[in-house]
Amino acid sequence: MLFAWLVCWFVPRGAACAEPAASAAPSSVSFVNDVVPVLTKAGCNAGVCHAKAGGGQNGFQLSLLGFEPQEDYQRLVREARGRRLFPLNPPRSLLLAKACGDVPHGGGVRLEKDSEGYRTLLRWIQAGAPYRPPHDPDLVSIEVQPPRGKLKPGEQVTLKTMATFSDGSRRDVTANSLFESNDAAMATVAEDGTVTALDIPGKVSVMVRYQGRVAVYNASVPMGAPLETVPPANNFVDELVFANLRDLGIPPSPPCDDATFLRRVSLDIGGRLPTEQEAREFLQNADPDKRSQAIDRLLRSADYADYFANKWTAVLKNRRDDASDIKANFAFHAWIRDSLLAGTPYDQMIRELLAATGTIIENPPVAWYKRVKEPKQQIEDVAQLFLGVRLQCAQCHHHPFERWSQTDYYSLAAFFSRIGRKPTDTSGEDLIFHERGVAQTINVKTGEPVKPAALGDAVGEIPPDEDPRLRLADWMASEENPFFAKALVNRYWKHFFSRGLVEPEDDIRDTNPPSNPELLDALEQHFVESGYDLRALIRVITESNAYQLSAIPNEHNLVDRQNFSRYYPKRLQAEVLLDAIDEVTGTTTSFANLPIGTRAVALPDNSYNRASPFLRVFGRPEATSVCECERVQSGSLAQSLHLMNASDLKSKLTAGNGRLHRMIADKLAPEVIVDQLYHAAFARPPSETELDKALAYLTESRSAADGTAMAETAALRENLQDLAWALINTKEFLFNH
Amino acid sequence: MFQRLFKSRCVASAVGCLVTLLGGATAAGQSVGLPAPRLLTTMPMGGQAGTTVEVTITGQSLDTAEALLFSHPEITAKQKRQDNGERVANQFVIQISEDCQPGVYDARVMTGMGLSTARAFSVSKHPEVTQSEACTTVQTAMPIAVGSIVNGTLVDRSINHYAIEASKGQRILIDCASKGIDSKMNPVVAVADASGSDLIVERRGGVIDFTIPASGRYLIKVHDLTFKGGPYYFYRLAVMPWDGQGTPPRMPSTHHVASFSWPPPGLAAGAAKPEAEPNDSLAESQPIELPCDIEGRFFPAADVDSFEFTAQKGETWWVEVASERLGHPTDPVAIVQQIRDDGTLVDVAELTDIPSPVKRSSNGYSYDGPPYNAGSSDINGKVEIPEDGKYRIRLSDLFGGTRTDPTNRYRLIVRQAAPDFSLVGWALHMGLRNGDRNALSKPMALRRGAVMPLEVVVVRRDGFDGEIELTMENLPEGVTATGLKIAAGATRGIVLVAADPNAPRGLTFASLSGRATIDGEQVVRDCRLASMKWPVPNAKAEIPDPRLVDQIPVSVNEVETAGLSIDVAEDKVWEVQQGQTLRLPLTLTRRSEFSGTSMSLKTFGAGFERNAAFDFSLADDQTQAVIDLAKLKPAPGDYTIAFYGGAVAKYRSGDAKPKDIVDIYVSQPIQIRVVPAKVNTP
Repeated sequence: MLFAWLVCWFVPRGAACAEPAASAAPSSVSFVNDVVPVLTKAGCNAGVCHAKAGGGQNGFQLSLLGFEPQEDYQRLVREARGRRLFPLNPPRSLLLAKACGDVPHGGGVRLEKDSEGYRTLLRWIQAGAPYRPPHDPDLVSIEVQPPRGKLKPGEQVTLKTMATFSDGSRRDVTANSLFESNDAAMATVAEDGTVTALDIPGKVSVMVRYQGRVAVYNASVPMGAPLETVPPANNFVDELVFANLRDLGIPPSPPCDDATFLRRVSLDIGGRLPTEQEAREFLQNADPDKRSQAIDRLLRSADYADYFANKWTAVLKNRRDDASDIKANFAFHAWIRDSLLAGTPYDQMIRELLAATGTIIENPPVAWYKRVKEPKQQIEDVAQLFLGVRLQCAQCHHHPFERWSQTDYYSLAAFFSRIGRKPTDTSGEDLIFHERGVAQTINVKTGEPVKPAALGDAVGEIPPDEDPRLRLADWMASEENPFFAKALVNRYWKHFFSRGLVEPEDDIRDTNPPSNPELLDALEQHFVESGYDLRALIRVITESNAYQLSAIPNEHNLVDRQNFSRYYPKRLQAEVLLDAIDEVTGTTTSFANLPIGTRAVALPDNSYNRASPFLRVFGRPEATSVCECERVQSGSLAQSLHLMNASDLKSKLTAGNGRLHRMIADKLAPEVIVDQLYHAAFARPPSETELDKALAYLTESRSAADGTAMAETAALRENLQDLAWALINTKEFLFNH
Repeated sequence: MFQRLFKSRCVASAVGCLVTLLGGATAAGQSVGLPAPRLLTTMPMGGQAGTTVEVTITGQSLDTAEALLFSHPEITAKQKRQDNGERVANQFVIQISEDCQPGVYDARVMTGMGLSTARAFSVSKHPEVTQSEACTTVQTAMPIAVGSIVNGTLVDRSINHYAIEASKGQRILIDCASKGIDSKMNPVVAVADASGSDLIVERRGGVIDFTIPASGRYLIKVHDLTFKGGPYYFYRLAVMPWDGQGTPPRMPSTHHVASFSWPPPGLAAGAAKPEAEPNDSLAESQPIELPCDIEGRFFPAADVDSFEFTAQKGETWWVEVASERLGHPTDPVAIVQQIRDDGTLVDVAELTDIPSPVKRSSNGYSYDGPPYNAGSSDINGKVEIPEDGKYRIRLSDLFGGTRTDPTNRYRLIVRQAAPDFSLVGWALHMGLRNGDRNALSKPMALRRGAVMPLEVVVVRRDGFDGEIELTMENLPEGVTATGLKIAAGATRGIVLVAADPNAPRGLTFASLSGRATIDGEQVVRDCRLASMKWPVPNAKAEIPDPRLVDQIPVSVNEVETAGLSIDVAEDKVWEVQQGQTLRLPLTLTRRSEFSGTSMSLKTFGAGFERNAAFDFSLADDQTQAVIDLAKLKPAPGDYTIAFYGGAVAKYRSGDAKPKDIVDIYVSQPIQIRVVPAKVNTP
């Protein structure tokens, strides 16, 4: 106490020490229910301030967002010999002097002296800085008022946070609540809870946080455009997408034409362009059911298995760090690919992965345990990939946006606590088995053993002979599981629509609601009822008119990025683009250890990126993350330059055994050449204008380097190469639209 | 410090250190293991019983190949000759008798350097074809008939295609033998439509059971997991009609090393009774009476089989489970539990793997033991009954949590102690250079004057702990074998096979056995022989892959003699008192040039293996071995020992440039009699 009093001497004169004590009489102030919320609202215990990992700021540490009030109390009141509080002269307490800026503070002024927060802290110190007064109730829940609403662009609403305590009391805690919009382009929210809708129509939500509790305000911002008709509903997807568009008043674009559909669905399911022959046959086919037939053909094909295996191997970290990884990586990739080809139900695939035992060659999903070795990493990857839950935060503290605690984290890790390993003959590869024993792990925070539990759900007593991972797999695949099917349908929805119903696709939480919750629920139900049939899910998505809408916006829906009122064009993925160029030019790309003709979408691991500037430039992932965001889909100057000048592209255009060379060798008429090229690249014939321009260019004369006129065939060859190059560089080719 | 470090590493890699000691020999350009005849491929790899097959062979040191021999008497071969009677090199005409049972047999080639290593040769009852043209595209797919077997070889970075015509509803089985016939290939087999688009794929060595969805042309695609190819990536592809009845038949296969310890002597071919499902839980336990012999399956995934029995306090039962040794990718575990009156369970025993009798090599680059696993993931353990009452055996497969394979069988035997043993041996090497496992695949083709050591290990059964004498019989003229016994309680012994310097060319199929006294009865058990399928010069790039071979051929090389022979100066029993020092004069006969001036010798022989290594001059004709019995403390008795070490020979074949080759050299066996120390009376 003496020390704390002495501190006052070092506080500059004219600062807090010089001021009289606040006149307000000390009242019953709770550190837990009153002080911590003030600190949270002021940002003192934010991750970038005193809750920063590794000691906070300048020797003063608080728990993140006040999730550990007891620890915070100790640090504020007891730590550093109590120097942060000065009970003899409360306004001179370092806590207040720093917060109001009387003493230099790296975080600036956090509380004005006339603020309610300042007064609360002052009253608390004046009251002797109690931890909790007698009968201090616990916070039970919070709610936001109103919970939902419909806002016109520019309209405002002020949110109120009501807290309910264990003694039944309710309190308005708006002033100390934190507000955050999930899409600042659609709506902003001020510190006092005032929400302002902006010009983009759709669904937006505001997360409200108070003392580790969260609530959500959901708003729809309708466009209100006239919407008399929508395309007919092919299935429940259409019903729910179009109902949402009606609700928001966003007119959808019309369904796309056949050529666009075939190209789109071939790229989205098979990761490839339709062949020239497929395109011609499809365009000539008068069967009204031909789109569904095309979808079925693609889903039955090995192309589907190759393409989706490519998607999964990256997020399952099938990464080659050493040349000796090749067998494991090929086997793991092949297991995914073969499972997809065989139509193995999704829950069965994940079960085989989670509870894999044996050696990689005999049971390839064991390879996942070669790449993801630590139980913490295993549960974080499992949660994010298969449950859409990001648990990483909960390893060290209560999840700031979610209900997940450290107990939830470690009880999930306990499922992986009995994994036995033995070295095999292959260096770096272990044999995996269930090591008999009671599954449990230690909560590093409390030091207490934790038994397996699945994100709050009890899974029963697991006997020592039972592999707890099987129990986890049981829980995942149970129909009541609120995460498993939802996470998958959302991930696949994003695959086809470029945006998840929940976005990001692997961050499903109460505070990040879906843009169309009814649709997400319906897809989830359909997926479960289908027996976790991935093909059935893809079929119901791609057969919908919502998927088949044109990418061309109408006068209203250009700004819509959320409600699927049109198809959102996307650049072809690196592998798909490389394959597409090979398809158009009639060439192949050679990949080490793989047969000539292997498509880039069928590559088993990331090692091929090293030898392929093309794949690197266009963002093929290195399989280091469970997040699909590791794949770079944005454009870059390097991509443009590569398409314009790269030697590999040039070699494909000039290949002696390529399509262009054969066209010349076969002496095809220019009209035929142009028609074939357009079908190969765009799955459609050229328009009259396009044909005229192309023919004019193809038949132009050329001069050789020495100025002499080039022979007709040589000129045609070079003109044809230019034409193909130009088609490849069009947005129509580079994008799925 | 440097010397200490150096010395410790020498223990792990005697030859590697020797290379350093000898100074001039660098790693580059030096190889391990003197040339030996190795049969590496036969094309085709098998044939139909009752037919004649023309076979082309390839291998190492087969220049003087003159006969192709098989481990089954119903398979015979003649050298192929042109019309003018001239021999066609490396080609043979093989006659497979109608009576020859389907199976995999060993083929070996007799050469001037002796009999080669073995290569699997299969016999079937079905028509066979040999792929002769490349078929790596859909367009070049090779047509085959359902009901036939194709002998094929992969091309690097390629997929072989075979075309069949089949009718809707027709059910076919597709099986591909590769690892089981010595191939390096990890097989991938797919059924594809006529365009080549895959319909179903099998990559784990299983069989494809495929029902034709629509009449027409289908492709069967075959490739290696990592698309490797070349002559060593061969296979036999069987496409058979299938009625769906019973367990799908598989192509026959060679046996992996662990299977030598199965079955126990005297076991009936079939189990006494099958498991009776449902028996997955305690409540559903299948009642059994001990002793018992039950056959069951680890099926479906995560299957648990529970067997309940009563037993009395003080009883001892031995539980043996075979599953991995039957060729299945399983890891059985048996928990024996007492069932208390209140239904609670108390663990009595947890029975898991059969440990390897000797430390086997780790997966590191350095050589730290033989890469043969004579242990198994199967079970052979003891249960002592603590109280009268009810018990149960909970049997499950540690690898079976998610795998549903009805062919994963097991056999569970619970018996009273039947002490016995099983033996397996292989050509021995001490330390090898990092990564180089080439010498492990050598045949027992002895150079005259050479001594070849075999390492023999034992899996002891039901508490048998006694001494085992090793004997080898039916040897060629001029060849002797000396068994260095497996001591009581020990798991390893040595057999030295020595060819006299003047031994004539010869070949016999020897028998190797262990003799022990069990419960007062003399018991003799045959020893199986294991060998590497392939010479592996780089263990990091290729994991040494051994198997059991059918026979124990011993042959004498007529072309070359051993570069070095080490003998004790006098052929007698060397008598020495306990606690004294024995000095053995050794003579060296050098017939080759060697790098360096000395080699380090260590000692074989129970009780003497801790004898300190000593340097042995390669320049002098004589040296002396010193054995300090005060340190070794052997009990009085007769012993057989030998000295061994590595040396780098400047090997010359014909007019070729000499090549540095490191190999193991072993002395002739030496008889020692340790007599009790004289008691000094005051």
